[in-house]
Amino acid sequence: MKTNLIQSYLSNSTNLQQYNSDNAKKNFDVNKELLNRTFIKPLPSNGHLVKNTIFDYPAEFFKDIKYKANALKHSIQGNANDNELGSLNDAGMKLGGLAIATYLLTRRQTPLTKAMEFVGLCSFFGAMEIWPKLALQLPAYLIHGFNIRQQYRDNYNTKKPVFLDHQFIPWDLYSDEEINKIGDRMKVPKDIKNRRDFIQEKMRKIALQNNTLWMLTAGFATPIMSALICNALEHPIADYQDKKLAQKAADLLNKFNENAKKYDYTQNTTELEKILETNKGKNISKETIDAIVSTLSQNLDKVTSQAIRKDITRILGQDNGYEISTDVLEKISQAIRTDYSKVKIGIDDATLDKIVPSAKELIQELQKNGLLDETSAIKTGVKDFTQYIRVISNFGQTKLEQSDISQEQKNRLKFRASQQNISHNTAISKSLKSVPSTKLTEDTAKDLKAISAELNKLKGHLAVLDEYAYLKAAMAPETGLANGWNDLISKDLLKTLGITNKEIKETRYDERIVGNLIRDKIEDIASDKDRYEAVIKTLTEKLSKIEERTRFANIDINTKNADTDTTYKKCVDSAFEMISAPLQKLKMDSTLQRLFGYETNDKSSLRNIQLSYVMDRVTGVKGAFYRMMNTLDMYRRITELEKSKGTPLEGLSREVKEELVEMCKRLMIGGHSSDYAVKFYAKRNPDLNPVTGKIDDSELEIKNGKVVNKYVGHRDPKMLAENGHDRDFYERAMRLMYDGKLHSDTSQNLEGTLFYENFEAWRKNVLRMFGGDKYFVRPNFLVGGKETYSTAHERFLHLGNALDDMFTKLFRSSYNSNRWLKFFATFGAGLLGVTVLSQFFFGHMHTDRYEAKQK
Amino acid sequence: MILPVSVHNNKNIIFGENKKEIPKEDTLLKNNLSTRTRIGLDKLIKAFTVYPARGMKGSINSDFYEFLTMGTVPYLIGSATLMGVFNYSNKVAPEAAKLGKKMALGVLLYGLFKSISKSFVNLPVKWITGIDTQLPYLKVNHQLPENKDDFDLTSYEYHKVGESVEFTRWDLLYGDPYSKKTLNERYDKIAKRNGLGTNLNDSDQDVKPIYREVLVKSTLARSLSSYLWAAVGVGLAFQDAWDEYFNTATLKFWEPEKFKHSMKILGRSIKNSAKNFYKPEIADTKLEKYAGKTLLFSAIALTLLGVLNTVHITKKPSKVKESDVMNKNKESVVE
Repeated sequence: MKTNLIQSYLSNSTNLQQYNSDNAKKNFDVNKELLNRTFIKPLPSNGHLVKNTIFDYPAEFFKDIKYKANALKHSIQGNANDNELGSLNDAGMKLGGLAIATYLLTRRQTPLTKAMEFVGLCSFFGAMEIWPKLALQLPAYLIHGFNIRQQYRDNYNTKKPVFLDHQFIPWDLYSDEEINKIGDRMKVPKDIKNRRDFIQEKMRKIALQNNTLWMLTAGFATPIMSALICNALEHPIADYQDKKLAQKAADLLNKFNENAKKYDYTQNTTELEKILETNKGKNISKETIDAIVSTLSQNLDKVTSQAIRKDITRILGQDNGYEISTDVLEKISQAIRTDYSKVKIGIDDATLDKIVPSAKELIQELQKNGLLDETSAIKTGVKDFTQYIRVISNFGQTKLEQSDISQEQKNRLKFRASQQNISHNTAISKSLKSVPSTKLTEDTAKDLKAISAELNKLKGHLAVLDEYAYLKAAMAPETGLANGWNDLISKDLLKTLGITNKEIKETRYDERIVGNLIRDKIEDIASDKDRYEAVIKTLTEKLSKIEERTRFANIDINTKNADTDTTYKKCVDSAFEMISAPLQKLKMDSTLQRLFGYETNDKSSLRNIQLSYVMDRVTGVKGAFYRMMNTLDMYRRITELEKSKGTPLEGLSREVKEELVEMCKRLMIGGHSSDYAVKFYAKRNPDLNPVTGKIDDSELEIKNGKVVNKYVGHRDPKMLAENGHDRDFYERAMRLMYDGKLHSDTSQNLEGTLFYENFEAWRKNVLRMFGGDKYFVRPNFLVGGKETYSTAHERFLHLGNALDDMFTKLFRSSYNSNRWLKFFATFGAGLLGVTVLSQFFFGHMHTDRYEAKQK
Repeated sequence: MILPVSVHNNKNIIFGENKKEIPKEDTLLKNNLSTRTRIGLDKLIKAFTVYPARGMKGSINSDFYEFLTMGTVPYLIGSATLMGVFNYSNKVAPEAAKLGKKMALGVLLYGLFKSISKSFVNLPVKWITGIDTQLPYLKVNHQLPENKDDFDLTSYEYHKVGESVEFTRWDLLYGDPYSKKTLNERYDKIAKRNGLGTNLNDSDQDVKPIYREVLVKSTLARSLSSYLWAAVGVGLAFQDAWDEYFNTATLKFWEPEKFKHSMKILGRSIKNSAKNFYKPEIADTKLEKYAGKTLLFSAIALTLLGVLNTVHITKKPSKVKESDVMNKNKESVVE
């Protein structure tokens, strides 16, 4: 057999990889080839262009992974080639990106922002891939007819771009047919000399120009494209997460008991058992009670914890008095010694031993006075310590008198000892109260364990309820309530009200200007029946969604097990009722009182706090929406106030009518609860009953939704004053805003919706709360003369966010996002346009000059 | 063009305008800060000027080196654009502005940590094996004329001897071909450092497999660890401790008091951000508590493993006992 020299060389070189050529001639004999005087040619190539369809991508994906895995293996062994090392650099970049996204996820608080970290990562790598494909590869293919990012597999099955290095392009991978086809597409004349070379040169040039343009544009395009992708995906992801959140919340309550059991309080139980075991049969000290209460009330609020302490102290019978024994008297002796030693009069330890009564002496002295049992030297159930303190103190003084110390020293120590008689909080009295008479029995320990078990049950249920309340209504981003707010207070609302970007840009900095703009817009809408109805219809759709979203908080706190109760309320009630009977049996009266209150409507009870939290949060948010609807309705009603009969304006002079309408319009847009609290403040013409001239009682003139004022705004502002005595004006204003029927255009569109019912109830509540709120400066400013009780907190929540404030924030965020989007989208589009257009200037070559060069 | 400030044979040559002093063939350069800085500047300037111009023209002389050098362009422009994306339109939203600044700082620290961390591999590898994987050389390119007026077109490129593991520039590591003493001097040193012994007949042949192995393994270590270090940089940038610096930051060195104060706060922010990164002040979950530590230790571990793998050389020539080597002076019979 003849030696194959090439194979022999390759197999002896350990650092070189060998490839098998499928196309190699069988029994290739190099000597024969040499004898035939033919040149030794390289083995026929196995390389080929990679022409994948979309269906090949999964296979290619796994091939790439396999290639990278092999590359890693070869690199660790030190055998990798340049291409393999390059591919690992890409893998490192992705690994780093993943590490960044994972770390940043931990720095973000909400599910959406956490998710967006990974969306950002993927969109960035996606943009890196998409940009050259979209802006360069595709247009180049359409215009020039070939793929500038064409890849090929070489003999070693390594995938590489054909035009990676312009000085080493594997042209042999393109057949003549392919090249000619590309040439035809490029409109290269068919009759030129060396047509293939010309086409190849043109292709090289186009590919090089595209690669350079890629480098120049990628820096701008990748971040912008990534940001735009994130921007576009944010809403769908937020919607998806909102649905997931709603489902998660629903699951919490659907499997309420199972979920409560997931909260593990075994540690609590173990701690308690340990305390009980340690103190079994012993006197129950204050420290023991502290430890027991602390264990029982872990994860509960301070008020409940205090109630538990009260019950446990009673159950453990600290009221049964204290035990005086040798140990206690030893403590007292030590306490007196410490007390004496604090007096710096130069008494040494030996002298102290003589003058301080010992426990033994104290026992004898107390027995002498009948304060201790003669045989056991123990006294139990001691509640009054007066006699004990007196006897101990007197005995101390006697010992002092009998001692050898100087008179001055005696006086100083006597004074010190006399203090023990005065205060009840001295070392002696503390020591006397150190050992309660009651002992920890088996039965008490059993009760305590039962209490712990019941409280743990409650804690588990409360934890689930808290989680639910947080998901649905907490004052945090991305809760159900926050998502509902964002859904309504969005660009759609601006569109509904016809607010343009230009108006936003001009007004966004000033709340008052925003308020004026909103007023103009609402007046416009209110003046046109069709438009008004369209706006109400749009808003109602959105508002009904909010009602649906917040249905869980439609709670009547005073009912129990009513059919109308929401799942949340039912769960709250069941959580509390579940432990009610057992705790009653265990005599936890104070705790029960804390949990349920004196009456059902006790606002401070834990049950009601659990309910009112979600109610308050929802009321505050919905108040803003009800107020918006009420504002629209009032503005609509005002457009028809040319006839004032039967309205709160009836019987008023034209000027007062104008003043009243103006004030109400302003209040609805920008009024705060403080304006209502002081019963409004409006500068008006103080001359309500002019002596001279006739009172103008004509009707209002209304044009395009606006009142054409005859008096308001026409008087000298210096002559205007606040009419602090005009309670009628106050009542009429309140009625104009919140009383009476809604305009038919409003009610017809609202009727039948859940929103309608709640909206009407809200109007009544606001009228009742604010109208009946007594202001000490103007005590008679009450709607219907009736005073009602409500807290400032309730009034604040009901009134909701002022429209000018709400829209200013919306304007600012909307302006910012518009500006951002406009800038980067325009820039991105411009960049894309320029990049695509550049194709028309690429690859220009003159055939005549080329031919001349060839010659 | 940045000309070589000194060649590797320690003859310090200062190149000026005089064309005679420009080397006519590829020349090794010293791997020191000055050379690296000048090379970096030269490449940076050309990446934004000469190379794009040549590439956009479709020049026949535009090569892969130029394309790779132009990789700096998207990197730098991309960083600036990212900063812009995060910070544009944030003026009226303080929270967003704060986050935007952290993002911008993250972009900066990403680049900084990625660059610096490469030394965590390069230096120990150089100390232990004696192989400088980053040894630069000046490549002299004689280009093709593009039109009739072009003649004597020469361009200079800055490469690294070991930038390709398949086409390593072994030739540049040889010394004077006419001096037996200096011909294999560099190979001798590496051989000695790696315990192959001294006075080797063909130290170059013994060293090349080792050199190649070190190149491959150190590239792997750099590729994987540098991105994790970059992630550590981003993590540091995302600490609240930077807010204090953002409020006082100034580069107005002509206002010494303000500038001094700003630098002091910068120091404090770096220290506190490192502390918070390692041990977050607020951490509700275990992931939040240990994320920083895990990232940091992963980067350290990967670097260490990478370096250990690199210096664990498996391609040393097998040691052959002297008695087993055929003595040329002795007669021997081949059966």
